[in-house]
Parts: sequence; C-alpha cells; structure tokens
Amino acid sequence: MDIAARGVSRRFGSVQALAEVTLAIRSGEFVTLIGPSGCGKTTLLKIIGGLVAADTGEILIGGRRVAGPGRERSMVFQDFALLPWATVKRNVEFGLLLAGVGREEREAAALRYIAKVGLAGFEDAYPGQLSGGMQQRVGLARALAVNPAILLMDEPFASIDEQTRRLFQDDLLALWSDERKTVVFVTHSMEEAIYLSDRVIVLSPRPGRVHEVLDVALPRPRDAADVRASVEFTRLVDGLWKILRKLQ
Amino acid sequence: MGASERRLVLGFRVASLVAFLLLWEWAARARISFNFPGPWPTVLALLDLVRGGGLLSATATSALSLALGFGTALIVGIPLGLVMGVVRPVGRVARVYCDLLIALPTAALIPLVILTFGINVVSSAAIVFVFSAPFIIMNAYGGVRDVRPRLVEMARSFNVSPLRLFTLIVVPSALPMILSGVRYGLSRAFVGLIIAELLLSPFGLGRLIMVSRSMFEHDRMFAAVLWTVLLAVGALALVSRLETRLMRWRT
Amino acid sequence: MSERSFAESDSGLAGLVAIGGLALVWETVGRLGISLFVPPLSGVVVVWWGLLTDGTLLGAARSSLLSLVKGFVPAACLGVALGLAMGRFRTVRLFFDGYVNTLMSAPLSALVPVLIALFGIRDTVVAATVFMFSFFVIVVNTVTGVRGTERSLIEMARMFGAGEIGLFRRIYLPSALPAVLLGLRLGAVQAVKGMVVGEMLISLIGLGERLIYYGNTFLITHLYAVILSVLLIAVLTSGAAQALDRALVRWK
Repeated sequence: MDIAARGVSRRFGSVQALAEVTLAIRSGEFVTLIGPSGCGKTTLLKIIGGLVAADTGEILIGGRRVAGPGRERSMVFQDFALLPWATVKRNVEFGLLLAGVGREEREAAALRYIAKVGLAGFEDAYPGQLSGGMQQRVGLARALAVNPAILLMDEPFASIDEQTRRLFQDDLLALWSDERKTVVFVTHSMEEAIYLSDRVIVLSPRPGRVHEVLDVALPRPRDAADVRASVEFTRLVDGLWKILRKLQ
Repeated sequence: MGASERRLVLGFRVASLVAFLLLWEWAARARISFNFPGPWPTVLALLDLVRGGGLLSATATSALSLALGFGTALIVGIPLGLVMGVVRPVGRVARVYCDLLIALPTAALIPLVILTFGINVVSSAAIVFVFSAPFIIMNAYGGVRDVRPRLVEMARSFNVSPLRLFTLIVVPSALPMILSGVRYGLSRAFVGLIIAELLLSPFGLGRLIMVSRSMFEHDRMFAAVLWTVLLAVGALALVSRLETRLMRWRT
Repeated sequence: MSERSFAESDSGLAGLVAIGGLALVWETVGRLGISLFVPPLSGVVVVWWGLLTDGTLLGAARSSLLSLVKGFVPAACLGVALGLAMGRFRTVRLFFDGYVNTLMSAPLSALVPVLIALFGIRDTVVAATVFMFSFFVIVVNTVTGVRGTERSLIEMARMFGAGEIGLFRRIYLPSALPAVLLGLRLGAVQAVKGMVVGEMLISLIGLGERLIYYGNTFLITHLYAVILSVLLIAVLTSGAAQALDRALVRWK
C-alpha cells in the first residue's frame, strides 16, 4: 500500500517539529527516514502511524485520508514495548486480540510468526528472560502477525549490539522480500539506511523538512557479502554523510 | 547459590536463633526485672494457653476484626486507588488525605473511634481499616500512575479501546504495586489490630496480653506476645509467597 | 511499599483544594450537629488555642518530644552503625537480617507490654518504644544503601590503593547517604508513631496520655485538638527530615 504525506506540519509547544512535509512512498518500497536529532523523523513516523495528529496537511494511505491508527499499519518500537507480564506467545497475539481475531486463529498466527522470526521454542518464555535482540524479534513478530500492508519501524535496532544487529538486518530484509510490505524505517545509522533501503529521505532539523532524497540503486538481495564491501556502497554512505554533516 | 553456600547461610541463621535464645535465657536468669520468664517457661505457658487458656478463641476474635477491617480496606481501597489514578484531578486531591493519614500516628485516632463506635468488633475493625486503607489506596494509585507510557503508545498503535487499555495494560501493569500495597497494608492492619486491642482490652489477643500483664502472669504474657508476633509474621510470609507466585514474570 | 515520599504532592493547588474542602465540610457538618462525634472545626480551633495557652499542650508536648529524642537518637546511631556493618560484611548480615526484616513489618506494639514488664510503667518505656519503632527501618535502608554501591566505584578506588577505612569514607558512605537519609526520614515518622503508641499504652505522660484521658472523659473537642497537635508534630518532623535530606544530598 502506498503512503502520501501532503503539507504535514506539527508543533509541540514552541518547537516546530515538522513544517510542510510532503513525500510519497510507493507500495512495497523500503524507505528510511534519517536526519540529525530534532529533525522530526520519529514524529513523522508517528503521524503516519496515526498516533500523533498533524496540525496541518494530511496523510493518505492507499489514496484514503487517515486520522488514527489502523490495521493496515503496524509499528515496531526502539525499546520493544513488550508486556513484561505476558509470555512471548501472548505478546505476539496482542495485536490480533485487539483486532478481534478468535482464539484458535490468533494462536496459530502467533506460532507461525514466532517461528518466522526464529524464536520457535520460546513461546512460553517471558520478556525478562530474553536478550534485547530476542525481545525485538518478538516485537517484530507482533507487528507482522496482524498482516499489515505497512510496517513502521522506529530505530528498532538501536538498543541491540552491532553483531546481532547485522544478522537482524538480513533477517528483516528476508522477511520483507517474502511479503513485500511497505516499510518506513527510522534510523541514525547511515550504513543501516543505505544497506536496507530503496530510498533514503533526509530530513533537516528545526523545523523538520524534506531536505534531500537519495536513490539507493544497489542490487537485491543485499545480504550477499559483497554489498557492504562494494565501492558503490561506500560511495553512497559517504555521500549520505556529506549531506548529513552539513545539516549538523 | 550452591549447596555448600546454602548450608552456610542456614548455619548462620541457626546460630543467630540459638544466640537469641541464649540471650533470652540469660536475661531471665539474671533477674533483669520482676518475673522475667525465660524461653522454656514461655513455651509451657503457650501450650497451656492453647489447651485451656483461651488462646484460640482470642485468636478467632482478633482474626474476625482483622478480616472485617482489612477486607473492607481491600474492597474499598483498591478500586478507589484505581479510580484516582485514572481520573487525575480526583487523584491529586484525594492523595492529600491519604498522605495525611499516612503521616499521622494513626493510634491517635483510636480513642475517637472507640468513642464513636463503642467497645466492640466494629471499633477494632474500623481501626484496622484506618491503619491499612491509606497504603492500599496509595499503592493502587501509584501503580496506575506509573504505567509505562510506551506500553500505552504501543496499544494505541493497535487501535485499542479505552476499556481494553485499562484491562489489558493498566491493571496488569499496576498489579505488582497493588500487591505490595496489599502486603504492606496487611502488616499495618496487624499493627492497628494489636494497638486497638491492647487499648480496648475486652477483646482478642490484645486483651489476653494486657490481662496476663496486669495479673503479673508474665510467662503467659510473653507466650501471648510471641504467638501474636509469629501469627503476624506468618500471615505476611504467606502473602509474600502469593505475591511471588503471581509475579512469576519478574526476573 | 514504594519508598518515594508520598508527602510530595504533585501540585500545591490540589493540596489547598483538599484541605480547604475538608475544612469546609468539617465546619458545616459540625455546625449542623449531624453527629455528636463531629464538633465544628472552629470549636476545635478555639479549644486548641485554649490548651496551648494554658500550658497543657506545651507540657505534654515537651514530655513527648523528650521521649522522642531519647528514643530516636540511639536508634539512629545504632541503626546506621548496624546497617553499615551488615551492608559491608556478609557474615554480619546473615546473622542479623532474619530479625531485622521480620521485625520491621511485625506489630511491634505487641512488644510494648514486654517493655512494661522490663521497665515498669515509666517514661523509659516510651523512649524504648520510639527506639523499637524507628530502629529497624533505619537499619534496612542503610543496608540497602551500602549494598547498592556501584561495583565499578569500589574497583576504581581499590586500583588507586584505597584501604578499608578509605573505602568506607570515600566510597561507601557518600554512595549510601541518600538511602541512609531516607531511612532516617522514615525512621523519624515511625518514631513519632512509636511515641504516641507508647504513651497511650502506659497512659502516664505526654500527648498520648492526653488522648486517652480526653477519650475516657468524653471531651471530644479536646480530643480533636490533641489529634491535630499530634498531626502537626508528625508533619513537622517529616518536613524537617525532608529538608535535611535535600540539604545534604545536593548531587542527586
């Protein structure tokens, strides 16, 4: 499903977080939002997700205006946002429960996605018993279980160590190419942005605006070991860094 | 903790207990004061009380006051605390009353309660209520107030209804604090119960303690005191066990 | 129980509304004569003023506060000392923590008759009750403070050659100070409670004795006046402890 933002603005108190942001994301595209602190990338993500209202402008999902959260959009959080008192299975079922899915169907879907993110066998574990990487997999499974057309990810790998993060990135790409959802990904990491996306949208800070859009023409699948070492990859990352450096 | 470590800890606890008993025995022998019973006479007196001295009926009376007062505190307090947490203005005002009741030496209210309700079970139940309710209320309130905003946000991203937000997120999130409030409230309930009965006198374990003292039957008094303290400690340990059982997900 | 200070209200406005509202309701209910046991607030204030000026309150309060100090100061000194020892040395902790933890939540008032048996019906019992009520809270909080010292700070100090005393002075004590002060604050509140309970049970001196007396003689307005005085002392003690806390721990 495609996403369009038209003239979106948002202020918090005296701070103008976003000003007249307009962009379009094609269905099935993997897009990253990146920019210095204060550029409003998380705010924009939450507006797309329907958690925060825009002061001006509109968000169109699949051509229709949206005002709040919806089943077609699902979110993954940086600090995982898992219910500590519930098992992995119950956590993954959460979105389905709220959507009114019946118990058997819910359970089956949950088990399926738990296996998909590589956590088979941990269905009855509690989040407190899992590592950060595993907890985020649960968060991802929960987001995928409701079968959204759009996946919104707010720096999902920021709290995870680098080695686990690289494996995770490849797993995410594998899952994505499997079901071709539209993904909007927020990150601070330039390598991550280039490695994962089709396009990188750079936002400038105070107020947040679309500063530049980079096309990432690297071949897919990206998990081939050469991509990170390739000249093209390094050039793109360096180009992105030059843009960001001027914005600091 | 390895097996040998466990044995060491156990050894220490046993040594500690033995030291205490020896100290007690020495105090009795050294005749610190008039008729200060040692451990053995206390135990004998305890058995005596159980058999025919009315320990069990006194315990039953005390338990009744405790159940009435503490039960009411739970039934009234927990929902009230939850409401206070959800309806913030109510919470901000009502907590002032709880803060005052917590700061006040609640025993000071006992003569007032006795005057109002008379010398009966209702009085001691009311005192138990006043001792325990503020903590139960404040803990339920705090539990609701301290729900992680991120979890609320996550639920909203799945388009949750306000009712479900309350039952699926707020209540489970507040449960640890509610339970610890219940546990602390119970310890306060015992405190209130005993003070009330020591002062009210016609009733329960407190009466037994005071009567024994006034008749200088110090061994009986010690026995009753020991029994009371053990009872309270036992009840609290049970609640603690329950709490751990319910909070299995806590690492 | 959460150890945050419940006495710190979110907003002063809420406090004013709450207390103002209570005063209003109290006065109205009293004036309407709804219950024999709820005299109007104005009546209570008048009696309170009378008791203050004729010396009853001050005399009783002086006696009470004397017992409070006689009980709290030893409890604070011994409590912190034991807490430090228990926090630092595992053997000491294993020996004592059974008692400390159980006695902290046990109905200590049940032990007051034992104190009476020990000391007789005298004011020493009140000081002993104050000691008992406050001691364990102080110990437990001190232990928590010492044990919560960051491992990395200890290791760092050791690397720079700090000995046992140096460690105590420069690492353990400053690190544990917030918890110790919290324990002293909670202990002060408990001490006031112990003071009232002790006095009521021996019924001989102080504000507690006044409570029993006015209760027995059905002088309800006087009873309220003394209750308010006790509340005032409790709130002032807690406030003083809090101010001390804030003054000493500015790095928090």
